[in-house]
Amino acid sequence: MPTSGCRLDENPGFFSRGGVDPRAKVFVTFAFLLVVTSFGKYEISRLTPLFLYPVSITAVSCVPVAKLLRRVLVALPFVLFVGLFNPLFDRQILFKAWGLSISGGWISFVSITFRSLLAVAAAVVLAMTTPFDRLCLGLEKMGVPRVLVTQLQFLYRYLSLLQEEAVRMVRAHALRARGNRPKIRVSSAASMIGFLLLRSLDRATRIYRSMLVRGFDGEVRLMKPLRFAWSRDGIFVAFWTLYFLTVRFVDVPGRLFGWVLGR
Amino acid sequence: MHMADALLSPAVGGTMLAVTAGLTAYSARKLKESPDESRIPLMGVLGAFIFAAQMINFSIPATGSSGHLGGGMILAILLGPYAAFLVLASVLVVQALFFADGGILALGCNIFNMAFFPCFVAYPFIYRKIVGDSPSRKKILLGAILSAVAGLQLGAFSVVLETVASGISELPFRTFLLLMQPIHLAIGIVEGIVTGAVVTFVWKARPEVLESAAQNTPLPGVSLRKVLAGLAVAAIFTGGALSWFASTYPDGLEWSMAKTAGTEELEAPAERVHTALAALQEKLAFLPDYGFRPSPAGKDSQPEVAAAGENEGKWPAVDPATTVSGLVGGALTLTLAGGLGILLRGAVSRRK
Amino acid sequence: MSHHFLEVRDLWVAYPDGTEALRGLSFRLEHGEAVGLVGANGAGKSTTLLALAGLVIPCRGSVNLGGTVLSKQTVGEIRRRIGFLFQDPDDQLFMPTVFDDVAFGPLNQGLTAEEVEERVRTALEQVGAGHLAERPAHRLSGGEKRSVAIATVLSMMPDVLIMDEPSASLDPRGRRLLIGLLKSFTHTRLVATHDLDLVLEVCPRTIVLSGGRVEADGETARIFQDRTLLERCGLEPPLCLQGMPR
Repeated sequence: MPTSGCRLDENPGFFSRGGVDPRAKVFVTFAFLLVVTSFGKYEISRLTPLFLYPVSITAVSCVPVAKLLRRVLVALPFVLFVGLFNPLFDRQILFKAWGLSISGGWISFVSITFRSLLAVAAAVVLAMTTPFDRLCLGLEKMGVPRVLVTQLQFLYRYLSLLQEEAVRMVRAHALRARGNRPKIRVSSAASMIGFLLLRSLDRATRIYRSMLVRGFDGEVRLMKPLRFAWSRDGIFVAFWTLYFLTVRFVDVPGRLFGWVLGR
Repeated sequence: MHMADALLSPAVGGTMLAVTAGLTAYSARKLKESPDESRIPLMGVLGAFIFAAQMINFSIPATGSSGHLGGGMILAILLGPYAAFLVLASVLVVQALFFADGGILALGCNIFNMAFFPCFVAYPFIYRKIVGDSPSRKKILLGAILSAVAGLQLGAFSVVLETVASGISELPFRTFLLLMQPIHLAIGIVEGIVTGAVVTFVWKARPEVLESAAQNTPLPGVSLRKVLAGLAVAAIFTGGALSWFASTYPDGLEWSMAKTAGTEELEAPAERVHTALAALQEKLAFLPDYGFRPSPAGKDSQPEVAAAGENEGKWPAVDPATTVSGLVGGALTLTLAGGLGILLRGAVSRRK
Repeated sequence: MSHHFLEVRDLWVAYPDGTEALRGLSFRLEHGEAVGLVGANGAGKSTTLLALAGLVIPCRGSVNLGGTVLSKQTVGEIRRRIGFLFQDPDDQLFMPTVFDDVAFGPLNQGLTAEEVEERVRTALEQVGAGHLAERPAHRLSGGEKRSVAIATVLSMMPDVLIMDEPSASLDPRGRRLLIGLLKSFTHTRLVATHDLDLVLEVCPRTIVLSGGRVEADGETARIFQDRTLLERCGLEPPLCLQGMPR
C-alpha cells in the first residue's frame, strides 16, 4: 500500500492527478461490474472481451502488472472455495465434445473465476490509478455524505501510521516471547489491542487540538474544485459505456470466431 | 466473511447498495442532530485503528488456528451505532479498494452484513440491554460475547441469503447455512471474548471514554426498535424478493432447497436470467446473440424470436460446434485484449 | 496592534485525575522575543502551551495576548493569532494532501479561494516545501513533515508562534534547517524543548520550569552555565557548553 513500489497516484498522466475525473472512473467501474455480473452463470467466452478494460487501463496508466496480479490472486481463495462447490452440486452434463463430458458446475466454476478476476482487477485499477483524495472528492460530488467522505480521508491518512504502531507491538512481543514464531495468546492480544486503542484515542485528542488551534468549527473544508471535462471525461465514459453495452449485447468472441473462419 | 462481486447478481448487489446508501444517509443525519466536533478525528483514527488491530494475530485456543479482531462491536461500544456504522462503512470501502476484500459492487452487501447487524441490532438490543448504565467486568464480557455472536450469526446468514439469491454459486441454501453458521459461532465467541477484554481494559484505564459513548446513545426505546427491526426485515426481504423477481426462473432459495432435498430434478438450470438487458435484447432482436441465433451446425430451424423461456430451457443442450466457437472465440478475444494492452503500454512508454 | 506582548499571570492548571500541572505560573513575552521554555518531563511545558491556546482550562490565573484576555469569548480570536506547532507533525497534518493541510487554517478563517492559495504558496515557499504541495502527508520524510507542519501554522499569519519540541525526531540536517528557519522568523516565539542547544542558538532568553512553576527566567547563556540550577531542575547544560573550561 502506501509504502512500496511505483507511486501511481503521483505519476502525472492521463489517469492520475489531473487526469480523468474520478467521477468518470467510478461510473465506469460500476458500469463494468454491472455488466460482468449480469451474464448468466454458465457464461465464459462472452466475459472475455471485458478483460480489455482492466488490461488497457493497466497498460496506459503504468500500473505494475505484477502488483496488480498479486492483489488479484490474494482475493481468489474465498471465491474459489465457494465456487468449488458448483462442480459438486451441479453435475448436469452441459455438453459433450470429443468424448469429454463437462458438467454445468465446472463451467460455472470457471465463470466465477473469470468474474472474480474481472471484478478484483476493476477495483484495483480504480484504486491504483486514482489519488485517494481525488477519489474522495469525486465521491462527495456524487452525493456521498460529507461525513463519510471526511471519514474516509482521515482513515486513509492514519492507516499506515497506526499499522506501524501495531507492527512494532507485535515485534516487541516476538522479542520477549520464546520460540521462533511465538503465538500471541488471546489475553495478551486483548491487552495489546487495548494499548493500541488507548494510543489511538490519545492520537485523536491531539489531532482534534491541532484542528482547534487552526480554527476548526466542525466543518472540514476542502478547496479543490473538480472539473468534469467533457472532451476528456465525457469521452472516457461514453467510450467504455458503449463498449460494455456492445459486449453485453453482441457475442464478440462468437463473431470473432466466425470472422476468422470466414463463416 | 466478505461477500464477493463474483458471486453476486446485479439485482442483489444493487439492492444492497441502495439499502446501505439509505443507512449511511440516515446515520449521517443522526450524527448531525448531536454535533460533536471532536468526533471527526476520533472516528477517523478509530477506523485506522481497526486495520491496525487486525494486524495482531492471536492463536485461538484448542484449534491450532489463528484469528484477528473484526472490530464491529468495539466501534459500536466506543462510538455508538451511527458513528460506528459510518466508520465500519469506511473500513469496508478501503478494504474493497486497496485490499481486494469483497468488491465494489458487493460493498452494499458487505456494509450491511458487517456494519448494520453489529451497530443497529446487536449493540442496541443486546449489548446495551445487558450492560446498561452500570457496567461491570462480567456484564461487559457477557454483553460483548452475546452481541458479537448475534452480529456475526446475522451477518453470516445474510451472506448465505445474498449468495443464494444471486444464484451464481450452486451451494444449496441449507448446505451453505450449515457451513457458515457454526464457523461464525466460533468466530463470534472469540471475537466477543477479545472485544470484552479490550473494552474492559479501556474501561479500567479510561472510564470516561465509555461513558461518553453511552451518553450519545440512550437505551433504545420502542420506536427506535420498531424502526430498526422494520428496516432490517424490509432490507432482507427486498433483497431477497427483488432478486427473486429479477430472475425469471425459480433459481433462488426455493430451487436450491428443492435441490438439496433431492426432490426435484430440474430440466434446466437458469442462466442469463438476472438481466433485464437480455430480455430487452430479445424483444428488440436486432443484436442477435449466439445462443439464440441459428447455430452453425445445422440447428437452423430454430426461430430467432422464440420465447425467452423456451430458449433458456434449450440452452444447456449446446452442440459442440457452438461451444467450440465460444472457446476459440474467447481465447481469441483474450489474446486480442492482451495484445492491445501490450501495444498501448508500448505506445505510452515510448511517448515518455 | 503592532505590539503584541504575551502575558501569563498566576496560572494554575489541574487535570481531572487531580495532578496539578501548573502551580502559579507567571511570565511575560515582549514583541518579537524568542524565548526557550525548558524543564524536565512533567515540569509543565506542554501544559503551559496548551493553556496559552485555550486547549486546557486553567482553574486560576489569566493569559493576556496583546491586551486580549483569554476567555470563552475570545478563544477564537486568540487562536487566530497564536500559531501552535505540535510535537508530532503527524497530529498536525491530518488532511489528504499537503496543500489541504496548509489551506486548512486559512479556509477556516473564511478567506477567498485566491487569498487561500496565495497564503498556501507563500507559507510553503517560506519553509522550502513548495514542491510538496500535492503530496499526501503520509509519504513525507520526517524533516519534510516538520517543514510542512510549520507552513500550516505560518499560513494563518499568526503574531505569536508556540512550539512543542520542534526538533524532536529530526535528523541532524533537518534540525539544522529548522534552526535556520526559526532564527529567520520575526514572530514572538516560545519554544518548549529538551534540545538546549537549539535554545542556545535560537532564543536569547530562557524560562526554566520545575514543578509547574517558573524556576528561573533570564538570559539563556547565563542560565545554561548555572549547573546547580539545571541539576536541581533535572536538566543538563547543552552539549556545546559541556566541553567549555570553567
